[in-house]
Amino acid sequence: MDSIIALTGDGFVMCAADMTNARSIVVMKEDMDKIMELDRHRLLCMAGEPGDVAQFTEYVQKNVHLYQLRTGVSQSTRAIANFTRNELAKSLRKNPYSVNLLLGGYDQHDGPEVFYLDYLGTLHKMPFSAQGYCAYFILATLDRYYKPNMSEQEALEVMRKAIDEVRIRFLIKQPDFLIKVVDKNGIRTVSK
Amino acid sequence: MSRRYDSRTTIFSPEGRLYQVEYAMEAIGHAGSCVGVFSNEGVVLAVEKKVTSKLLEVSDQSEKMYVIDKHISCAVAGITADANILINQARLAAQRYRYQYQEPIPVEYLLQQVCDTKQGYTQFGGLRPFGVSFLFAGWDRHYGFQLYQSDPSGNYGGWKATAIGSNSNAAQSIMKSDYKEGLSLKEAHELAIKVLSKTMDSTTLAADKLEVTTMLKNKETNEVQVHRLREKELESLLTTSGLLSAQTETSG
Amino acid sequence: MELGFLDRPHGAGGVRVTGAALVDELGYSLGCDRMHPTGAPVLTAPPGDAPASFLTEAFRGQDDHALKFLHGTTTLAFVFQGGVVVAVDSRASMGQYIGSGSVRKIIEINPYLLGTMAGGAADCSFWERDLGRRCRLYELRNKERISVAAASKLLANTVYGYKGMGLSMGTMITGWDKTGPNLFYVDNDGTRLKGHKFSVGSGSTYAYGVLDQGYHWDLTVEDALELGRRSIFHATHRDAASGGFINVYHVKEDGWVNISHEDSGMTKYYEYKAQSAAVDSTAMES
Repeated sequence: MDSIIALTGDGFVMCAADMTNARSIVVMKEDMDKIMELDRHRLLCMAGEPGDVAQFTEYVQKNVHLYQLRTGVSQSTRAIANFTRNELAKSLRKNPYSVNLLLGGYDQHDGPEVFYLDYLGTLHKMPFSAQGYCAYFILATLDRYYKPNMSEQEALEVMRKAIDEVRIRFLIKQPDFLIKVVDKNGIRTVSK
Repeated sequence: MSRRYDSRTTIFSPEGRLYQVEYAMEAIGHAGSCVGVFSNEGVVLAVEKKVTSKLLEVSDQSEKMYVIDKHISCAVAGITADANILINQARLAAQRYRYQYQEPIPVEYLLQQVCDTKQGYTQFGGLRPFGVSFLFAGWDRHYGFQLYQSDPSGNYGGWKATAIGSNSNAAQSIMKSDYKEGLSLKEAHELAIKVLSKTMDSTTLAADKLEVTTMLKNKETNEVQVHRLREKELESLLTTSGLLSAQTETSG
Repeated sequence: MELGFLDRPHGAGGVRVTGAALVDELGYSLGCDRMHPTGAPVLTAPPGDAPASFLTEAFRGQDDHALKFLHGTTTLAFVFQGGVVVAVDSRASMGQYIGSGSVRKIIEINPYLLGTMAGGAADCSFWERDLGRRCRLYELRNKERISVAAASKLLANTVYGYKGMGLSMGTMITGWDKTGPNLFYVDNDGTRLKGHKFSVGSGSTYAYGVLDQGYHWDLTVEDALELGRRSIFHATHRDAASGGFINVYHVKEDGWVNISHEDSGMTKYYEYKAQSAAVDSTAMES
């Protein structure tokens, strides 16, 4: 049921995720943070099977930290995306993690980037993307309103439209969305 | 006293020394010299080719310079057979990294892995340390061009200009006085050749006794590449440096 | 569910079928469902006396890993101004039978940590006992008590390791540590959630119905305990699979206290009914 959205703008990536955690028909929690901070410039939006999501994303996060400790430098967003894809692909034929992700990051060499990853081991660099049921509604909304190199204000406007569409058309209640932005200065929570 | 301890690589002597490791370094002191010079435009590696016998088929491939990956090359002083093991491991590490992250391995990370292997042989039982010192030249997105040196103990460090092999002390003191910050690539070549000419046993210098490779950025594609100087290039380098041997000068 | 086993005599080859078979032979009327040859009515034991055959019959047609004994349950816990209230029912259902009416679904992990039990009783009590062992080891090694966050993570990691292998647990781990009162929900998918208010089990929706409406952070201890009790009572009233006794615990700064153990059946029903009648009459008087 998780809804996650990410888009690139002018020098930043904006990520949004709903904050609801539900089990069968019961809402367990409405203040959940589904946007993990991998390091100072990397955001990982998480969707999928609850236990798998926690275990897998923490594994990725700890590997990113380990890399930085070992080498003293941080990887590119693309390198993290490829590492993550590799791990998903490795697990696919054994004990697959049911995890779908959007990786957003700002890198001083490569600028802002968004990567789409799913449990099958798919990896694509995208200007914007969404995962979960929400994608059926808002990909079209984003197709219509997304422009490259938007300012943060414009991007927020588009993101609000997308979230609004989820609230209007999606059967399941997702009252709150968390929006985070990453740019050259690091990560900020824009709104809840 | 030392006799009791020096046959064991992994045992300290009462003075706190590891003799086998020191002997390995000693062995490298007799190997042909290698010089590395760093500049912001690229890194130069220059080595002395020792022609042991005129009957030996001269291989076009160098035995002392190796390309590890597109963006890293290295020069070897010491036992070539030992070096082959480490080079193979380094190449494997570079490709493994590319497979995992789909990007080139950072130079220092690669070196760290090679040196971890070297260190292991100074600590774990019954084996001989690698009798190899390396000069690594490379480029990565984090620190640009880099030059490193490593020894048999597994130590390594980054340098602006350094030398390994025979007469490396003399070479280093020359470079200490002659190296200037902000060297151009051409100046780096000239310095490397000059140093090598003074550390080599033979008084005459000729293109067939040298090997020079350069790590540089291709001006058109802006990609890093390893360039091995051809004989013509070597000769012109020697000429401009005024180091061409008397024999060649008379004949030419 | 396959109910065929109800029609069949249980036990091996009908040897143990005393009542019906003998009664028939002796020609007694079968108006009373089971009769002793002496004429006195007898109650047949429920089919649990031959566990192996009962289980295969009871869960026939279901996934091998879907054995869920304590599925009918209501448990709840919430954090408020005065600590944490934990309240649970005590019914254990096995299929359509009540396996037990006095299960202790609040597990005392150690003097300052509590766990609740929903799903498989054995799974919960075993792994929470194991958790208690590991918390004690942590304490010996680190010279301080484990945080609730860390303890719940240990449990979540353990059950995640068995994911898909049939563990059935829906549990809340609660206690008081350096950071204050804490409450975590952990289940057999490996989910682990921090929160202020959780209810788990088949009766949880009913419990939420009372709990959500009566909950405030500023509740007095007395009101909070009563809210927990009420929520469980209403859940047991509506959910056939929940019932028995209501157990209530209170987690305070210096550890938990067992507050009450009361019958959730008719006694409680009439007690609450009398209360609301009293309220109604005072309302009419005024």
